[in-house]
Amino acid sequence: MPRLSINGKENDFREGESLLDVIRGAGIDIPTLCHDDRLKPFGGCRLCMVEVDQGRLVTACTTQAAEGMKVETHSSAVESLRRTNLTLLAEGFPADEPLNEHFQFQRYLLQYGIGPRGARSHEFKDDTHPYLRVDMDKCVYCYRCVRICAELQGQFVWRAWNRGERTRILPTRTEGVSPAPDCRGAAADQAPSMLESDCVSCGACADTCPSGAIMDKAIAEKGVPKVWTRTTCPYCGTGCEMEMGSTDGEIIVARPLASAPVNKGHLCVKGRYAHAFVHAKDRVMKPLIRKNGQWEEVSWEDAYHFTASRLHEIIDKHGPQAVGVLGSARASNEENYLAQKFSRVVVGSNNVDCCARICHGPTAAALKASFGTGAATNSFNDIEVAAAFLICGANPTENHPIVGARIKQAVLDGARLIVIDPRRTELAAYADVHLQIQPGTNVAILNSIAHVIIEEGLVDRAFVDSRTEEYDRFVDLVQPWTAEQGAKICGVCAEDIRRAARIYAQSSPAMIFHGLGTTEHSQGTEGVRGLANLALLTGNVGKPGSGENPLRGQNNVQGSAHMGCEPSNLAGYTPIAQSAEWVEEVWGRPVPREQGLNWMQMLDASGEGTLKALYAIGYDVYFSNPNSNQTRESLKKLDLVIIQDLFMNETAREFGDVFLPVCSSYEKDGTFMNSERRVQRIRKAIPVLGDSRPDWQVICELAAQMGFAKEFAFESPKDIWNEVRKIWKAGAGISYERIEDGGLQWPCLSEDDPGTTILHRDKFPLGPKAPFSIAEYTPTKEVTNAEFPFLLSTGRTLFQFNAGTMTERTPNVVLRPTDTLDICPADAEELGVQNGQTVRITSRWGSTELPARIDDRIRKGELYATFHDPKVFMNRVTSNYRDGKTGAAEYKVTAVKVERI
Amino acid sequence: MSTQLDTAEAAMPPPGHDKRPRGPEVDSFYHLAGVDIDHKFCRGLGCFAAQHLDPDRWRKAMAQWPPVFCLGKCYSAPSSADEENQPLIEIRCKDPIVLAGVPGGEVRSLKDYGPYRALEKARAMPPCDVVSEIEKSQLRGRGGAAFPTGRKWRAVFDQPGPVKYVVANADEGDHGSYIDRYIMENAPHRLIEALAIAGYALGATKGVIYLRKEYPIARAALEEALTEARSAGWLDPMAFDISLTIGQGSYVCGEETSLLNSIEHRRPEVRARPPYPFQAGLWSKPTLVNNVETLASVPWIVLNGGDAFAARGFSTSRGTKAVSFSSLFKRPGLYEIDFGMSLRELFYEVGGGLKNGDFKAVIIGGPLAGAIHPREFETPFAIDELAAIGAAVGHGGIVGFDDHTHVLDLLAHIFSFGSQESCGKCTPCRVGSRRAEVFFWRMARGDKLKPEERDELRAILLAMRKTSLCGHGSGLGEVAQSILSKFPQEVPLCLA
Repeated sequence: MPRLSINGKENDFREGESLLDVIRGAGIDIPTLCHDDRLKPFGGCRLCMVEVDQGRLVTACTTQAAEGMKVETHSSAVESLRRTNLTLLAEGFPADEPLNEHFQFQRYLLQYGIGPRGARSHEFKDDTHPYLRVDMDKCVYCYRCVRICAELQGQFVWRAWNRGERTRILPTRTEGVSPAPDCRGAAADQAPSMLESDCVSCGACADTCPSGAIMDKAIAEKGVPKVWTRTTCPYCGTGCEMEMGSTDGEIIVARPLASAPVNKGHLCVKGRYAHAFVHAKDRVMKPLIRKNGQWEEVSWEDAYHFTASRLHEIIDKHGPQAVGVLGSARASNEENYLAQKFSRVVVGSNNVDCCARICHGPTAAALKASFGTGAATNSFNDIEVAAAFLICGANPTENHPIVGARIKQAVLDGARLIVIDPRRTELAAYADVHLQIQPGTNVAILNSIAHVIIEEGLVDRAFVDSRTEEYDRFVDLVQPWTAEQGAKICGVCAEDIRRAARIYAQSSPAMIFHGLGTTEHSQGTEGVRGLANLALLTGNVGKPGSGENPLRGQNNVQGSAHMGCEPSNLAGYTPIAQSAEWVEEVWGRPVPREQGLNWMQMLDASGEGTLKALYAIGYDVYFSNPNSNQTRESLKKLDLVIIQDLFMNETAREFGDVFLPVCSSYEKDGTFMNSERRVQRIRKAIPVLGDSRPDWQVICELAAQMGFAKEFAFESPKDIWNEVRKIWKAGAGISYERIEDGGLQWPCLSEDDPGTTILHRDKFPLGPKAPFSIAEYTPTKEVTNAEFPFLLSTGRTLFQFNAGTMTERTPNVVLRPTDTLDICPADAEELGVQNGQTVRITSRWGSTELPARIDDRIRKGELYATFHDPKVFMNRVTSNYRDGKTGAAEYKVTAVKVERI
Repeated sequence: MSTQLDTAEAAMPPPGHDKRPRGPEVDSFYHLAGVDIDHKFCRGLGCFAAQHLDPDRWRKAMAQWPPVFCLGKCYSAPSSADEENQPLIEIRCKDPIVLAGVPGGEVRSLKDYGPYRALEKARAMPPCDVVSEIEKSQLRGRGGAAFPTGRKWRAVFDQPGPVKYVVANADEGDHGSYIDRYIMENAPHRLIEALAIAGYALGATKGVIYLRKEYPIARAALEEALTEARSAGWLDPMAFDISLTIGQGSYVCGEETSLLNSIEHRRPEVRARPPYPFQAGLWSKPTLVNNVETLASVPWIVLNGGDAFAARGFSTSRGTKAVSFSSLFKRPGLYEIDFGMSLRELFYEVGGGLKNGDFKAVIIGGPLAGAIHPREFETPFAIDELAAIGAAVGHGGIVGFDDHTHVLDLLAHIFSFGSQESCGKCTPCRVGSRRAEVFFWRMARGDKLKPEERDELRAILLAMRKTSLCGHGSGLGEVAQSILSKFPQEVPLCLA
């Protein structure tokens, strides 16, 4: 290892390290303002000057460490120059600002005993934003906000204007629909306020600002948190690690964990800021039982007694098949494991499912069928390796913002990008090719791309020969799918299909990401397999920067099904027949063999009167299921609805009989599993609030009440996890001790197994070869006609999350107040609809009203609606159609009409 | 995108690269973006020194916003954009290299310049040998830093391809210098041929000339010459072509990494090195950046051999040098000379001495190059010899000062220019140059600085010299140091 000396002491360093890295590694603190490990070295503030080889002054941040260097970090010459530069910066800093050690620059002033001398002036100030406070009187022009906004988030909101002493850092507003600064030339200008800027509220600027010019409002108002607790974000399936800051049991603000492999020191608006729901006034803090139509607060004992006896009655009378249990994508692995164990052991049925049914169920099924494992083949760390991306039916910059930001950076650095999406999403604006297909034609476009790859001789023959089967049948299948045919069916240009095929096949490695725009279709499973076909054709499997990678929607949706909240599979996503005997040995109880009902089938059974009780944990089924009118008819017939949640959700409000109040993930321990198969810890940041309890405790206590105390005698989440590890062979190596400092990706078979970042390197779990999927394109039944001329897709927005349970109870409502119906300018004009005007939208299934939002990212004849607001209840409009293989709902295509009111 | 740079033919990034948005904030960096240069008066150092020749015009220059710092007409300073009269241009050496044909405009058109014989000869050689000739010539960069040109060429040559760039730095911003200007106006094909030779030798398929906006005639000459070269087949869009980017008013764009940022429509701040431009320059590809006069030597070197070039010159300064004199000299104009004559010979024999009175000081190579005291006039005119007395050959523009100039006014003027042209990236230059400027104005006005203010000024100048990111801030600190130490009798307090 090369060595250099710092202040006379020898130090080892690694090739490529900067002097600053080495100096800090040696435990020596030298001041820097413009440096942030997440950013490229800048060399602007000049505070990290050190003396090298007796007299040469260099900035440590921009100088590579070299063998034999002699570095002096605190010579009197260097310290005096530092003092001069700090004094120059202090000239402009408001003299009356109370200095706070939390801010780097202010700490240096205190440390060097330099008093600021500036006056309050008319620099940019802003208090319009719910989470950020800006006071550019305090700016020290380190450009960290400008750089982090560009280099980490890729949003380019903060920009430097003018030059020299007249330089000013100001927020930008781009013409068009925020948050999508259009790289192709939309006019940008200074924004009048933060709220009107392109800001996506990721908070990175406040996180990096060393002077307090841009700061978290929460810190401005409540002070710097006293305690920081490492945990994992409870929102999407990216699985960002963060430190939750709290003071005296109150959550203040989160900050990203720099060492986290997933988010690398970054968070989005939800993870960093949207947690006020925890302290929301309407959070249910006591168990409730509905008596004579009214909710009444009861003790936990009474709630358990009531619930257990009603369940016993129903099981005694109608058999275990009359009860259904739903695990929660929001709850921990441990809690989902308990939920399915409850169903199988306490109730005695396989009627257990979770919300993966209606989102990525098709992904798990398709990837299992294509490759043998129903999960992402690669890791987020492959993003920086990929030469090209194919993103199909996913909008990561809004729904998986950290993944989106990483992809955006890769594309800005030259990676190629193909986006298949009916909307011109933010990433589509950066794409080399955007295939703006008609909703519901995924299988057609994918078969057509495959056709071009084959026709133009771009197939990786060696890979196809050695690692795939059914190739000849596949060639026959796509033979008619010329680019022209694909173009005709999907409504895009044939040449664009060819370009997309060439980019994907010729940029090696190429990485596929997909989201619910691929799965939530009547051909959802086939769509995912169509993507897998492309990866197989081009050899993009089993190597870094390749593969097919679902972007899972919720923090633990991967884990909930994987823990066995799935009628056909036990923990580890292994079929019952395959693992029941071993599980019985661990449990000491029989595993029911009768085929269970999935959630959609439970709903059907409830409608038919054969399902009598539903135990829904952290899952607002009535609000989130498609075709609410029919859902309501079915749920109405249930004899017992048990709701376990933080809030009186729509299902509880309408149908609940008993409400078991549980706490948030910030109030308990456990693990989540992210999209890339990584199991990560969550930790208790604040004490449990009110009389709520963690889900795992509630399930155990209810099971005990029903006579299964022994099977549910767990002291802690870790206890539960250790039982999971006994059952789930591929997770056996993932112990709490090992993931204390960061998660592990399964398969991880033993405690010395480093985990698996890339699946299918040499072989598939199915065997040496993976089959091509042979699926003909079948159009959806949701077709437009004169009465219903528009095709509607539903989905999320950046600032809101799913059922809105959490985000609607945070200041995120200021950033995105309500659901909207996004409509293109031409259609809006034809209908005479103004931006913000409330319209009625009606399908063959139902109707609702919401404000229109004119958005030129939408194609003519198509609409896009968000679904977060219970007042809008968008699922009154969505259809009854389901994916033929898994039953996932077709949320993405509904024929509708729009009327002015 | 917004107006962006005013580009004759925008230098476009390679496809699929760099989609970062740039808006009007980049334009706001430049003081001449969207500004018509016509009717502007010059505020450069040559005009400052000659203000007493036309006080009214100088007053206008100082009152006008935005300012224009050096129009390259120092021979008729104080100058205005509207006057156009070619200065005296003379060859004062045997066998001119860079100014051949420039005095009478004899090689302005391609017809007169003739076929690109040097390019033809280079193309008959292995590229590596062309680079070797440049190395052998011992040519050093003429834009100010005097870095060995052959080393730059070799470094770019050694980088793997396939995409590389060659860039001509025609942002001749150093006050007093109008050398590159007349090479481009009167011998544009020499520059184009040189870039084509560099492109061939280094494996670049694209050249860019970055020209300052203050030179509209040079722009027209280059545009015409590029068209001629293309139609004659010397440039070929499919093989090697050159585009022209016009600056929008910023002195720091003469620094090569700022210049590259400017071509890329980024904020033209100096980049931290490494990576160096030869590793990651324009659009992050290996890039050669050479000044115009440097490149203008290349065809001669290729035709006559590197050894023939190296055989001329003095000490470590090989070849010839073009110099330009400001209007206070009796014979203001542009000359190609041999290195090695004494400054006295240069100023009196070539420049003819001052029109009025004695020399108080001379500044060669722009406002940041350090002042020369008359007692130093025996120093030979050569790169390292001038460096040894805290001065420079620099760009080669020579501004003389007579008794009308007080050194505190000179310092205040230089710092006013310096703070206005600071990019704002590094602390000492962004804040320090402005604070020092205010101190110097006060001192020039007769204010006495308090002891703590004097200490502060001294500390600022030291921090500027020692800790600035680029030569702009450190040069300002150095020039102050040089002037204060050489003219202590005019500074009321000991600051040096």
